[in-house]
Amino acid sequence: MVLLLKAWFYEVVKIFNRWRTYIGFVTITILVPIIMYLTHRFGFDVQDQALRSLGDSVVLVGTLVNGFLVSYYLMNVMWVHFPFFIVLVSGDIMAGEGAAGTFRILLTRPISRFQVVTAKFLATFFYTFLIVFFLGVISIGSGMLIVGGGDLLVFDKGILILSQNETLLRFLLAYCLAVVVQMVVASLSFLFSSATSNGIGPIIGTYAVLVVSYILSVIQIDALDVIRPYLFTTYFDVFFAPFASPIPWGEIARKSAVLVAYVVVFYSVSLWIFSRKDITS
Amino acid sequence: MMVIQTNSLGKRFGDRWAVKDLNLSVEKGQIFGFLGPNGAGKSTTIRMLLRLIRPSTGTFMLLGKSLRDAGQHIYSRVGALVEKPDFYLYMTALKNLKMLGALSGGVDDRRIEEVLDIVHLRDRADENVRNYSHGMRQRLGIAQALLHRPELVILDEPTSGLDPEGIHEIRELIVALAREHEMTILLSSHLLHEIEQVCTHMAIIDNGTLVVQGAVDDLLRKTDFYVTEVSVDNPERAYNHLQTEDWIKDVSLEKDLIKVHLPADKRPALAEFLVRNHFKVFSIIPRTSLEDYYLTLLKTRHG
Repeated sequence: MVLLLKAWFYEVVKIFNRWRTYIGFVTITILVPIIMYLTHRFGFDVQDQALRSLGDSVVLVGTLVNGFLVSYYLMNVMWVHFPFFIVLVSGDIMAGEGAAGTFRILLTRPISRFQVVTAKFLATFFYTFLIVFFLGVISIGSGMLIVGGGDLLVFDKGILILSQNETLLRFLLAYCLAVVVQMVVASLSFLFSSATSNGIGPIIGTYAVLVVSYILSVIQIDALDVIRPYLFTTYFDVFFAPFASPIPWGEIARKSAVLVAYVVVFYSVSLWIFSRKDITS
Repeated sequence: MMVIQTNSLGKRFGDRWAVKDLNLSVEKGQIFGFLGPNGAGKSTTIRMLLRLIRPSTGTFMLLGKSLRDAGQHIYSRVGALVEKPDFYLYMTALKNLKMLGALSGGVDDRRIEEVLDIVHLRDRADENVRNYSHGMRQRLGIAQALLHRPELVILDEPTSGLDPEGIHEIRELIVALAREHEMTILLSSHLLHEIEQVCTHMAIIDNGTLVVQGAVDDLLRKTDFYVTEVSVDNPERAYNHLQTEDWIKDVSLEKDLIKVHLPADKRPALAEFLVRNHFKVFSIIPRTSLEDYYLTLLKTRHG
């Protein structure tokens, strides 16, 4: 256990010693406040769309747009765009060592392959957790500072107005669920990374699977209903569930369980592959 | 004590056996040279011993224990440098060593400084390995192998890329590790004179199979194809004479020096033959080098 913790610690050190790790953090730090500023300066088209959909039934005083609303919409990047920051690290964490030949100095220590894979997997989880919550903090923080706070108005089978305090709690839950979603992406690229010694392959492979799975999940063709339950992207919308009223705890639990099962399967297959792999590089 | 013992160890890649039925024995305190041409199976054998490659057949014991009995912990008593010295280039040498020390069961800072001193890298320990030359990385590779004071050190081409002074230092270090620190060294090298100078024992592997193993002195002394260098007054005529004799295995003429391949016990007969044929014999010197031995052995095997 002590060795596993040491291995995990040094895997985190390795991750944060590489410049590619900071691409996501830097992009979020620059891009999100810019989006917030532009929204504040030029408005948000969704406000007009929402007002049009309400028609004459509701009279709203003031503006719908605040930092929470923009943060809420920004969470859509979790589907396809944000995973890029995840696979940049998780896709390279195993394959990168194979390509660099460093497994030769790592695996000749009194450490088992189970410990190496698990330490790397936990370090991947740590990075995923950090970057998802970093997006959350920057998004909500810069949103409140630049656009302003207030109630969050979301459209979910009608209008739902959430107070600022409740919104923060629901965002917290949403970002926790987003970590689970991103861990599915991370563990898939981790699996590809375990099977190869090329850092680019797992990134492309994961994205190919993600995009195809996403298209099959959202495309409105009835015939695809047969395969949808088996696609992990079908469950990716779980991070929007906390913004419903009442919170669908059953749905959240079911979808989270399926996503965690995917994570466990991808980790187990990675372990199986790597335990049998000959290190010839 | 037997430090390395392989029992019918083999590795197959597809249809090709990289190593087949290998029975290697290395005893405590030996500096054991592991020789063979490129692709002979040296690296595959070393990688199997270090768990980098899974054997297809056979078993092995390290420091008297099988991997099944001792588990991964046995590797806290083994240090290794396998082929190229690859490190985490984006980290400093010190950070690399600290990490590897921690994963070896814990190594204090003083020991890290000690090994950095041994390989003369202490002054540059805070530099990223990316900025290191090949020779410096090679020395750092040796440092990481010695970090946790192992009882068995496996070095694969440890002097590759070093300057002559560095090569000399590493050879002296290897001898000192065995003599002063009672470490057992398995040294794989292409440099035959390196093995000859440094090793007490050796094994030659060819096409994945063991050709010969034993003490270097014994192997060279007992060989059937001993080389004797002969200097006489008329080398060309002597060379022509010797060529016709069937009790001589092989003879060549290099710059007035005749090299005769014959068993050691036939050397008096050679002297007698030359005198009988009225040659003035200036010298008859036994000169079987490991290089002669190795090349002739492989030539004999390959027909």
